Amino acid sequence: MTGAKGRPGWRWLVALVGGFALGSAVRAETTFYQARIAPIMDRHCVVCHGPEKKKAGLRVDSFEWVMIGAESGAIVKPGDPKGSELYRRITLPATEEEVMPSDGKPLLSREEIKNIELWIAGGASAEKVMADFPGAPPLARPKAIAEALAPDWTSRAAQITALEQALGVRLLPRSQVPTDGLILRTASSPARCDDAALAKLAPVADLIVEAELARTRVTDAGLGAVAQWTNLRALDLTRTGVTSAGLARLQPLRRLERLNLTDTSVDDAGVGHLRALPELRQIWAFGAKVTEAADPRVVAK
Amino acid sequence: MTPNDNPFARDHDLCSDHCGEHPTVWDLPHVPLGLKREWLRLETRRQFLGKGVQALGWAGLATLLGRNGVAQAAESAMATRPALVPNFAPKAKRAIYLFMAGSPSQFETWDYKPMLYDMVDKDLPESVRGGQVLTGMTASQARFPIAPSIYKFAQHGKAGHWVSELFPHTAKVVDELCILKSLHTEAINHEPAILQITTGNMFPGRPSLGSWLSYGLGAINEELPTFVVMTSKMPHRTNVQALSNRLWSSGFLSPEHAAVALRAGSDPVLHLNNPKGIDGDVRRAMISGVNDLNRQLFERVGDPEINARIHQYEMAFRMQTSVPELTDFSNEPASTWDLYGPKAKEPGTYAYNCLMARRLAERGVRFTQIFLRSWDQHSNLPKNIRLMAEESDQPTYALLTDLKRRGLLDDTLVIWGGEFGRTCYSQGTLTAENYGRDHHPRCFSMWMAGGGIKPGTTFGETDDFSYNIVKDPVHIRDLHATILHLFGLDHNRLSVKFGGLDSRLTGVLPAQVIDAILA
Ligand code: HEC
Repeated sequence: MTGAKGRPGWRWLVALVGGFALGSAVRAETTFYQARIAPIMDRHCVVCHGPEKKKAGLRVDSFEWVMIGAESGAIVKPGDPKGSELYRRITLPATEEEVMPSDGKPLLSREEIKNIELWIAGGASAEKVMADFPGAPPLARPKAIAEALAPDWTSRAAQITALEQALGVRLLPRSQVPTDGLILRTASSPARCDDAALAKLAPVADLIVEAELARTRVTDAGLGAVAQWTNLRALDLTRTGVTSAGLARLQPLRRLERLNLTDTSVDDAGVGHLRALPELRQIWAFGAKVTEAADPRVVAK
Repeated sequence: MTPNDNPFARDHDLCSDHCGEHPTVWDLPHVPLGLKREWLRLETRRQFLGKGVQALGWAGLATLLGRNGVAQAAESAMATRPALVPNFAPKAKRAIYLFMAGSPSQFETWDYKPMLYDMVDKDLPESVRGGQVLTGMTASQARFPIAPSIYKFAQHGKAGHWVSELFPHTAKVVDELCILKSLHTEAINHEPAILQITTGNMFPGRPSLGSWLSYGLGAINEELPTFVVMTSKMPHRTNVQALSNRLWSSGFLSPEHAAVALRAGSDPVLHLNNPKGIDGDVRRAMISGVNDLNRQLFERVGDPEINARIHQYEMAFRMQTSVPELTDFSNEPASTWDLYGPKAKEPGTYAYNCLMARRLAERGVRFTQIFLRSWDQHSNLPKNIRLMAEESDQPTYALLTDLKRRGLLDDTLVIWGGEFGRTCYSQGTLTAENYGRDHHPRCFSMWMAGGGIKPGTTFGETDDFSYNIVKDPVHIRDLHATILHLFGLDHNRLSVKFGGLDSRLTGVLPAQVIDAILA
């Protein structure tokens, strides 16, 4: 960073402190900065760039300080992640001396970096909210606080086994933690799993966290049943008959993170129906008609 | 039968802990005496189910084809066998292990050592070697001339990994890899080394990694084997070591956990086709009959190997339909052949096996191990390692790319590596164009990708000679602990009573999960 780049930070500070105060008065929604960027800074950076230590004259313990930058100038260039010193430092290889966090501390995760990248690309705003960043991947939960993904299934074991036997599918615990939910597994006999079978899974709708439906006979009609599985995180529809129209039914899956549409007939319009799913971070669509332009979360090539 | 009728009653009493409590083969009518004697001999060597487990045994058999599940997890408090449910939520559901048998040199592949160019043909400093015992192949050399890689390196990807020019394709996906540069082992010769890395122990008879996964987690797809092994045609043959099923055996676990070896060609699983004149119904009836007999025998003697036998008959029958579909590549789109290259059409090549591995992963095979031999370049390394790289680079890249675009890489762990490393000095004469490298157990490189591995990272460092590890050593048992961890298994808890120990893949010495490489 050279001094020639100037110190636009103060201008930002004045403009945004005002804007921020105003913004928070009119809408109660948490901002993207508060929800995603501040926690990253707190976790990884504030020990060295905060009220106690101000390495390189830099503090990152608030939006305003981030925008003020370091001794040598601004570290964020709104709209231009690649041109931002902040982004450069967190994406260097671990072996580089300049990499941040320094001193061999654990580097940022892919998700954390992606959030920062999107935030800068979106103008490094203090006001934008979660909905403005549909492609922002959720941050991993800190290990200690294991969040329940679904209700405890153990009291319903008999019901689960009966459904497995009746439908020829498996409903397997994801782990020995009973609130990690169930995997709906069909790999042994995908041909037996059809829309009617999915409808019959209603009694365990809240327990299914992953649904492996690749190569099954599921169609758009079956997605109506899937839409009831509100704790679903991962849905594999590879090589099924689902179409773009059917995807519109998936709106209620507010927790869905991963969706596989490989070798289906889905197109850009279909993926358009998924835009508002807040946690969806990856859509695979190789062999479908989707283009990567449709949504930043699509992998199509 | 009274004890007096039994000529072996005394022996039997001495060597079996449940004689007299349960009926045995001795008590069956119409079994010829010779057979009973044979049974008696074998019986002493067999590991029988304990008394408490025997009751469970039948229940287990009833759900043999779907042993994993809520019922087992719910009863896991009385865990007499694994619940087949991971200890914690896994990142990887399946793995593909690209085994480079014979051991590729780290110098021409993943451990770039520029300093060696300043030391060409100088002798390896004694301080570096530190009095290490060498193999008989180079111990008598008068000199240990330093041989830098003849192949150039460049940085690739966002992570800036140094990649050898031998791997132009893999270089394109290097951001997916976590390169481990600090593996080490105790073994300096192939057979113990390859046994150690495939089974966790230098001595034969232990279950291999894939068998442990099968034992601990069960199948994803009951129509196909849980663990599949494929060996690959070699582009050249020099110093080729034999591969034996010791490397993929189930050891002291039940035989159903051993790998099924898929062969090249029209008959991928031997003896699977019905003989002429026998149709499916007849075969079904025959297998059902044999299994009924086996069940009766199991009820009486409780030997778990009988269960395994039943399982194998049933698996073979199911494979009669699942394997032809698996090996029929006719529905692969043109893009597949562009990606994997023309050799992928030739059964038995590494390229074909990589494509097969993707098809196995798609269909839910838990663990696939592909062996590619002839990396053992004691001499003529420059020429031969190029042949090996040319054979394998594009298919490896293709497999990673294909898994990724189909959304499979997220939960499929891919592992690449051999059994040990090679020396920085030349075995035999060093010339401008030629050199060789001897075995070196103190450090070697591998990579992993997908399945919960942090992409675009490296782990561990070696000294300027890639002779000793200077940072973050990874023993094979650490590697194994990490792989099990990715599958949601605690390596300390995945154990079986054998040989007076709670035997496990990682053995009795402490093993560490390498947290730093987990995504
Ligand atoms: C262990 C202490 C430490 C931690 C943690 C740390 N930094 Fe730094 N940071 C430093 C030091 C020391 C410097 C000055 C040396 C340099 O420029 O590399 C610095 C410099 C920087 C600079 C360059 C400022 C300039 O001069 O333009 C940026 C940007 C930066 N850090 C960002 C971060 C971010 C973002 C994080 C968290 C992801 C972080 N740092 C975490 C110690 C740390």
